[in-house]
Amino acid sequence: MRHLRFRFLALGVVLMLAVPLVAACGSTTGGGGTTTGKTIKVGLVTDTGGLNDKSFNHLAYTGLLKAEHDLGVRGDVLQSVTQTDYVPNLTHFAAQGYDLVIAVGFDMQVALGQVSQTFPNTHFAIIDGSPTDANFNPVPRANVLSLFFREQEAGALVGTVAGVLEKDQKTPKPTGVISAVGGQKIPPVDRYIAGYQWAAKMADPSIKVLVGYSNDFTDPTKCSGIANSQFGQGSDVVFQVAGGCGNGALQAAGQKGVYSIGVDADQGFVDKSVIVSALKKVDVATFDAIKFIQDGSLPPDYQATGEAPCVASTRSCTEFLFNLKNGGVGYAVDNLNPLPSDVQTAVTNLENAIKAGQQTPPETVS
Amino acid sequence: MNALLIILGLFKSPDVYHSTLTYGTLLLLPALGGVISERSGVVNIAMEGMMLTGAFFAVVADLAWHNVWLAVLVAIIAGGFMALIHAVVSIRYHADQIVSGVAINIVAAGLTVFLLNQFYGVQEIGSVAPQFLIPNIKVPVLDAIPFIGPIFFEQNLVVYIAIILLVAINIILFRTRLGLRLRAVGEHPSAADTAGINVYTLRYGAVIASGLLSGLAGAFLSIGLSNTFVPNMTDGRGYIALAAMIFGKWTPLGAFAACLIFGLGQAIYDNTSIIPISPYFLSMLPYILTLVVLAGLVGRSIPPAADGIPYEPGNE
Amino acid sequence: MATPSAPTTERTASADTPTPLSRVIAYLRPMGTPLGSVLFAFVVGAIVVVATRGNALLAYESLACGGFGIFCQNGENTALQLSNTLVFTTPLILTGLAVAVAFRAGLFNIGAEGQLVMGAIAAAVVGIKLGTWPALILLPSVLIAGTLAGAAYGGLAGVLKAVTGAHEVVTTIMLNYVALWASRYLIIGGPLQAPGAFNASPPVAAGAQLPRLVPLNNNLLFGLPQSVFTAYTGIFVSLFGAAIYFFIMRRTALGYEITAVGQSQRAARYAGISVRRTIVVTMLISGAFAGLAGAVVLSGLSHSLVDTYFQDTTGFDAIAVSLLGQNTAIGVVLAAILFGALHAGGQVMEADAQISHNLVFVLEALVLFSLAANFLRTFKFRLPAFGRSPTQPAELEAQDVVVGAADEPG
Repeated sequence: MRHLRFRFLALGVVLMLAVPLVAACGSTTGGGGTTTGKTIKVGLVTDTGGLNDKSFNHLAYTGLLKAEHDLGVRGDVLQSVTQTDYVPNLTHFAAQGYDLVIAVGFDMQVALGQVSQTFPNTHFAIIDGSPTDANFNPVPRANVLSLFFREQEAGALVGTVAGVLEKDQKTPKPTGVISAVGGQKIPPVDRYIAGYQWAAKMADPSIKVLVGYSNDFTDPTKCSGIANSQFGQGSDVVFQVAGGCGNGALQAAGQKGVYSIGVDADQGFVDKSVIVSALKKVDVATFDAIKFIQDGSLPPDYQATGEAPCVASTRSCTEFLFNLKNGGVGYAVDNLNPLPSDVQTAVTNLENAIKAGQQTPPETVS
Repeated sequence: MNALLIILGLFKSPDVYHSTLTYGTLLLLPALGGVISERSGVVNIAMEGMMLTGAFFAVVADLAWHNVWLAVLVAIIAGGFMALIHAVVSIRYHADQIVSGVAINIVAAGLTVFLLNQFYGVQEIGSVAPQFLIPNIKVPVLDAIPFIGPIFFEQNLVVYIAIILLVAINIILFRTRLGLRLRAVGEHPSAADTAGINVYTLRYGAVIASGLLSGLAGAFLSIGLSNTFVPNMTDGRGYIALAAMIFGKWTPLGAFAACLIFGLGQAIYDNTSIIPISPYFLSMLPYILTLVVLAGLVGRSIPPAADGIPYEPGNE
Repeated sequence: MATPSAPTTERTASADTPTPLSRVIAYLRPMGTPLGSVLFAFVVGAIVVVATRGNALLAYESLACGGFGIFCQNGENTALQLSNTLVFTTPLILTGLAVAVAFRAGLFNIGAEGQLVMGAIAAAVVGIKLGTWPALILLPSVLIAGTLAGAAYGGLAGVLKAVTGAHEVVTTIMLNYVALWASRYLIIGGPLQAPGAFNASPPVAAGAQLPRLVPLNNNLLFGLPQSVFTAYTGIFVSLFGAAIYFFIMRRTALGYEITAVGQSQRAARYAGISVRRTIVVTMLISGAFAGLAGAVVLSGLSHSLVDTYFQDTTGFDAIAVSLLGQNTAIGVVLAAILFGALHAGGQVMEADAQISHNLVFVLEALVLFSLAANFLRTFKFRLPAFGRSPTQPAELEAQDVVVGAADEPG
């Protein structure tokens, strides 16, 4: 009896699996090819932060929405739950013939390296990273566009604000200590903090910069805790580089009556303590990437020296670099408006120097 | 060695004590809920899910109505509702209480994000404005006491409420008839039944109370310490509360002491900017500490006798 | 499907009158509760979707599309969806077995996730550090290392339970967190971090990798470059694990002891079974299955130790898998296929129906509620009693636990 029962079960499973298999033979889906201009299909794959990360995933989605509205493209999104989802999610869009598949976040570099090889006729873009092999070595591919940002340039400008304010003793509790809360010790975060640290020390050589990492990009409680401890150590300006988590640091600064600095987007609305924000225009970059794939138009001064020039006719390109010069990164003055004149002067001077190539902020935290 | 000195140095400032009390309280509320529930004989590992549900609905209500008190009420009710499910499934249907607890935690994690998506689309949920958060209260005069004042008298409103609840629950549990009956139901349900005590009513009440407390803790988390909801924001705090309850040998005061130890762990972690140890290593410590203490409590960690056993009249 | 030592009275009754109809019912009866609870979950899930102004039909169609490649609206490739389901199913079978064997002994192993992580760490260490070994030795070593690491980690909870009486639910929750943070520590700034990577170890040597089901090249298969099919031979390891489980539970004295302890520690003790030893051995076996799951995924799919375990739910989904599979080998395999399909399908549901993949977790919890509460009492099925038998007087049993731990030295 028992054997019969198992046989029955096995039959059920076989049927369950076999029916769709048979159906599969009928359906064919090819890799995507670019149709010039007009309505293209764009797939966006988030990293595990998801669309609600109040950070780059969200900004990338904002860029996609704008492209849907302004360019008439069709956009779809897949949110990754775990890193195991990256390959299937990228594959999902590529296999269905999407014209452009955007991977958000450097976390997806290996997955993108793999999928972009499988679908050489599909265009891919990746924010904050470039395709790599399994050993994490970059593998430039003609069908992958890397969207890189010089976060350290934006970090340097807000670092100057903090440094000069501290030197002038114009911060709420001037003690010569400022701080930063990072989400995780990863390059896009550290570039911000490196620039911040570098510029603050340039403005005020005796300044102390505390750096803490929350290991979290979403939970505000974690970042507020770290920020509060930094306030306890004398910091009276905190720079958040931790997405939604970092909003907790801004909030904590408001409660303690000290200054804070927003990140990625203009965060002046998040808390009254936000004096300036460091901007990283992921939304603009996403939009520009979509536009490039649709009609071959390039954003201004997008290329780093030494990179192969993009080919508009085939939409092939390896890298867009967003920096101060082309407006891809920058700063916004928020609730300390206008900035004290010497602060503003210092910021403008540094901005011009960086644009002119006379100053180069470091990429790594010292 | 250097790191140890830095950590010891933290204790010179009131900040670390203040944070310890804040984080400890956040754990205390669900831990108290666990004590009440398990004292009545219903195993409750679902504080995590109840707290998460409370945290979510607190933000939803606060954003919708711009009224923090209403939001706290909604959070408490939401936590209570999750507890009611646990109560019905485990008391009425005699389900395995651990499985039911796991299910509550899974459904809370899934449902909050599902609803987040349904309510707000893929847009951000948004942040609650500062004036609609649970306020911090400075107690006049007392907050001026050096060192002590900043620790005890500049806390969030919920901290004061939690301490009052702690005292009240301790008295109710050990000094009143209701408490005696509740404990009787958890130790000898059939004897209690014979003595005319309604086992089911008390157990329902106790489980729901655990949900109300956890819901309040959720509100404290999302619209007290934070100003928004993020997926899975309780981050295992309900499980830590569970461990604290067992540490505290199912007593309110013992649980509070354990909560303070965990709170201290978090407070020390907050100083990661100045402690030269891998933060990941630091994060492991409270859990290792728990294991060591659990391993050391040989034969002394004894739950209420009927904890986890569904009551069926006439089954004795 | 019921345990051999606990035939239900209903089955005996139907065997007395072997009409064809009653036979069919007898075959189907053990599947009644699981199928009923899945149905219950889908019905309530549909209500939740509709109540929040979603389209339940579209949601379930896209879920079926993502899981099994049927009812697809947007030209999804059926073979690709089945391959994705298989990828999810592979570790779920093993973690499901891990939780199931503990259930059989009346233990609740909520720590499968931590044991899985430890298995993955051990597999990564062996696969990287001993990468020069020939594949014939290296691959088995990687899998065995994962198994042993998981076993040790599960066994730790077992020892704590047997020696100090510390409840395994609490200890395994704590052990989970320790394992998760350990994995992160190792790959971010720790000794396993790969040069050039920021939160990953180097990949294990090629010889340490379980082969894929289809070779990694761009030849077309079912209309797609075949490198998209990430399904790997780990599924055979999982099925082999299920066979081992079947063998242990049905053909060995150990299996009998485990079941006996699960049904009543008191009775088991009278029968001369060492309850403590059985608890430790059960947790060793349980951890071994979970550790193997971690090793299999690392060896066959991710290749590197990556920072994914904080989001990974394989060890927790296993609870639903084992309960739905009624702690039997074949049941666990079938349940793992279902949940693997749900997880694979959740992504497609999100893309095609704009319903959050988190609905899958809601469904999973509903299955658990339904099984635990046994809403569908038409079919009798009793959950294992966790450490105690509900039919025993409460006071006696509680003493039994405490005294039992004391009166059995060694």
